[in-house]
Parts: sequence; structure tokens; C-alpha cells
Amino acid sequence: MRNEIELEGIIEDYLNGKLTADEQKAFEQLRNNDPIVDHKVVAHKVFLESMKQYADILLLKEQMDAAHNQLDVAAISAKVKPHSSKIVRIWRNNRSAIAIAASFLILAMVMLYSIQNQSKQDGSFEALNREVSQIKRSQNNLIRNINTKVQNTNIAPAKFGGSGFAISSNGYILTNYHVIKDADSIYVQNSRGVSFKAKRFYTDPINDIAILKINDSSFDHLGTLPYSIKKAGAGIGEIVYTLGYPKDDVVLGDGYISSKTGLNGDTLAYQVAIPVNPGNSGGPLLDNAGNIVGVINGKENKTDGAAFAVKSRYIVEAVNSIPQDSLSKRIPYGKRSQLQGLKRNKQVEKMQDYVFMIKVY
Amino acid sequence: MSIKLSSSVPTDREVVLGILNNSEEALNKLYAGYYPMVLQFILTNNGSEDDAKDVYQEAIIVLYNKIKGGNFELSSKLKTYLYSVSRRIWLKKLTQHSKKTNNIADFEDVLAVDEDVEQHEEKDMQFDKMKVALESLGEPCKTIIQDFYIHSLSMQDICEKFGYTNTDNAKTQKYKCLQRLKKLFFQS
Repeated sequence: MRNEIELEGIIEDYLNGKLTADEQKAFEQLRNNDPIVDHKVVAHKVFLESMKQYADILLLKEQMDAAHNQLDVAAISAKVKPHSSKIVRIWRNNRSAIAIAASFLILAMVMLYSIQNQSKQDGSFEALNREVSQIKRSQNNLIRNINTKVQNTNIAPAKFGGSGFAISSNGYILTNYHVIKDADSIYVQNSRGVSFKAKRFYTDPINDIAILKINDSSFDHLGTLPYSIKKAGAGIGEIVYTLGYPKDDVVLGDGYISSKTGLNGDTLAYQVAIPVNPGNSGGPLLDNAGNIVGVINGKENKTDGAAFAVKSRYIVEAVNSIPQDSLSKRIPYGKRSQLQGLKRNKQVEKMQDYVFMIKVY
Repeated sequence: MSIKLSSSVPTDREVVLGILNNSEEALNKLYAGYYPMVLQFILTNNGSEDDAKDVYQEAIIVLYNKIKGGNFELSSKLKTYLYSVSRRIWLKKLTQHSKKTNNIADFEDVLAVDEDVEQHEEKDMQFDKMKVALESLGEPCKTIIQDFYIHSLSMQDICEKFGYTNTDNAKTQKYKCLQRLKKLFFQS
């Protein structure tokens, strides 16, 4: 018993490195010669290590408990515990995902905005004459099909292609070239529903302008034209309106010049923010003072409210190209029009006799 | 991304050096610094405040052993490491109680810490074994052994504390206690 206690003490001192060099040497010799002693040393070593770890962790736990007691657990817990509201919880849990989604959204909006701001217009031009379905024409830019029953017409199926307006009192009518280009025969119809036969007199495909001459014995002279042609260009923001025949009766459309160039920067035309429909092609575009600033000839098919109008300058060129003595009471240029100062409804009332429906066969 | 931690979060270097030098202040700072993070995680994933305390303390023990083991390399932020370890431990506990472990709501990046956690579990078993052995040892043996091996009292101190007439008696008593304890520890 006595010896074993001493042996245990020596083993412990040996493992803790407390023996002198001589003692250590002697003990190692003893250990080598006696397997039982060796076994005791190994076992005690394992035990001491376990005990040390136990002591370390126990100490650590005590320190952590002390640290824990210094914390205001209830307050922290109130701050971080799952919010009763589901939305707040989702927000907390997915904050990074939401942030990423939001930045993508913003990026997409910026890109969309910059694409819209590019000067290049994406849409394509859509001419605004109406298709006459009974006689199939090759013209692809006519989009309204008359034969569909959308049109509630009591009269015989309308056969018209667009609008036009008088440029002289003796029956010269200006319209768009694309309205009449494939026509075999042309009739014009006034606001009272009376039709006259007309023939093409002058065409200018580049500026999309055509002049027709009424060639009908029943046609009587018109009065003096109430409007004049504005020679100078119109500015952006100028209030304009148009009269045209997208249906059987004359229709007023109201808007403003939105750009000084047409599709893809076409300098021949204005871009006009105005509601126009198939059938408006060839209709006059007038400013508030009753001056013609252009001729409606198409719209962009991908954008709402972007219509195009041939500038009045090219109307003047067209009118000048026909023999002046054949025009009686020709449309005046750059003069004060009779419509100036009148209210819109009075202007329309005075004008509608001079705006015609163009019917092509 | 998680709720802002208290401003007194120590730097990772401070913590590692502090642990190596057994600084209690460093441990306190570390403990207070990341407790809210783990608490938030546990509370959000079917746990209580007590669960959070247990898991967090185990995670710190893992970190502590790793740093003390000398092979600790600061390859990630301590915050991430502690979070990952806590997460792993909590997931294991959930599985043990056969609660569902899908849909775990995460607040931090997660590292692969399975190896560290497994090592810790082994050590934890040793710890529990020793604890059980000591508990079943009974008084006064338990206190004598604890005083000698844990609180590092000398035999002289123990002799006085327990009123033995001389140190030899105390040594004999300690020897008997130790033999019993060893038996309990190695046989369990």
C-alpha cells in the first residue's frame, strides 16, 4: 500500500516533469523493466490529460456563464426573435435576396429608360390609309379591313382609302401618294356624302404626296378656301389638329407636334402626338390659327400616339409644280387664314366642306 | 445582414491572442459579441433562449479547443466560423429530437465544419464521462480530487482544509479516491 502510493506519486511527478534528471533516468529504467509500471504510467497519462481537459472546459464554462449573466438576454432576444409579422420575417430572412432582386429591377428600368431615350426609333412606319377589301391590293401598309363587321355602316360597304383636302376651289385635292398609288379609279366624297370621280393629276412618291383633280360634271366650284398653308416649320409643342375619314363621317383628332423629325430621323416629316387611325392618311394637319402645317401620312406601329405628317413645305412644292393658271382660287401660302381667331368647333364647321374622303377602286 | 451586433465586437486577432493568453476579458468580449447572432439563429429555427446558450457555449468550446490545439488558421472570419459551428450543432440537436431540419433560415455564410464538430463531440463525451465519474465518486473524494487536479491546491492545503492530522493521511485518502475515480472513468 505504502509503496503503491509512493509509486503513484512518482508517476505523477514523472508525467508532470517534476523529477530530477537522475530520478527520471532511474524511473525510466524501472518502467522499461516492469510492464505493470509501464501500464500504470500510460493509464495515468490518459487520465491526467482527460482531467486537464475537463478542468479547462469546466473553467471555460464557468467564465462563459459569468459572461452570459452579464448580458441582458431578454432585451437581445426581443430584438432578434422572429417577428410576429410574416412580412417582417420574410424581409429579415431574405434581405440579401431582396436587395439583389431590387438592384436587378433598377438596372432593368435604367436600361429600359436608356433604350427609350435612344434617338433610333424601333417601331416601323405604318401608313394610315384603309384597305379596300373587295379589291385586293398589293399594298401591305393598309391595315384596316373594311369587310370586317366592326364598321357599322348602313350604307353600301364603304370603299375608301383615306382623306384629302382641297387646294383650290376648282377641285384639286391633295392626299397621300400611298393612298392612291394602286388605284384603278378614284372617287372623292365630301362631308355631305356626295361622290365625284377624280383622276390623279400629280404624284410625288418621295414626299408621299399626290394631287387629284375632280373630273366630274356634277362638281360645282367650292368657295374660297378658309385655310392657308404655313410655309415656316412648326415648333415642337405646337397644338395641332386634323380632320380625316377613319370612318364614314369626318373625325377630329387633336394633339401636338412632338418631334421635328419623323421615323428614324426622317426630316421630311414631323412626329405628332395625335390619335390617328387607318383612314386618316392624307388628312390636313392644322395649327390653332387654321394654317396647314402638314399632311398626316402614317404612324409608328409599336408606339401609341406617335403619328407622322409630311411637312407643309413639301405641300407647297407640290402645289407649285402644277400649272398655276389651272388652279382657281389656289390655296394661299403664308397668309392669314379665315379660320384665325375662331373657336375650334367653328373652324371645323367651316373646314369640313373642304376635307374629302378618298375612295379608291 | 443580421441585426447589428453590439459595438464592442473584438477583432478576430484580439480574440485569438486573448484565448492563447487565457484572457478572461477577451472571452467576455467574444461571448457578448456574437451571442445575438446565434440567439437569432436558434430562435428563428425552433429553439429557445436556453438552447441558444448551450449551442453557443459549445461552439465557443470548439473554437477554444481549435485555437488551443495550435493548428488554428484564420481562414475565415471568426463570426462565420462560430455561426457555422453553432448551426451544425443545432442541426444535429434538431435531428436527434427528430424535428424537421429543412427550411433552416440562415443569416450568415456557412462553412463546412463537420470535422471540427465531430472532434468536439468526442471530447464532449470524455467530458461527460469525467463528470459522471466525479459525481458518482461522492464526498469527500470528489472535492479532494477537484481541489487537487482542478483548483491546483497543494497536498498541504488539502490537509488543512479537510483537517487531516498529517499530509501522509491526506495523500493516502487522495490515493484511494483516485483509484476509485480511475476505475469509474476507465470502466464507464
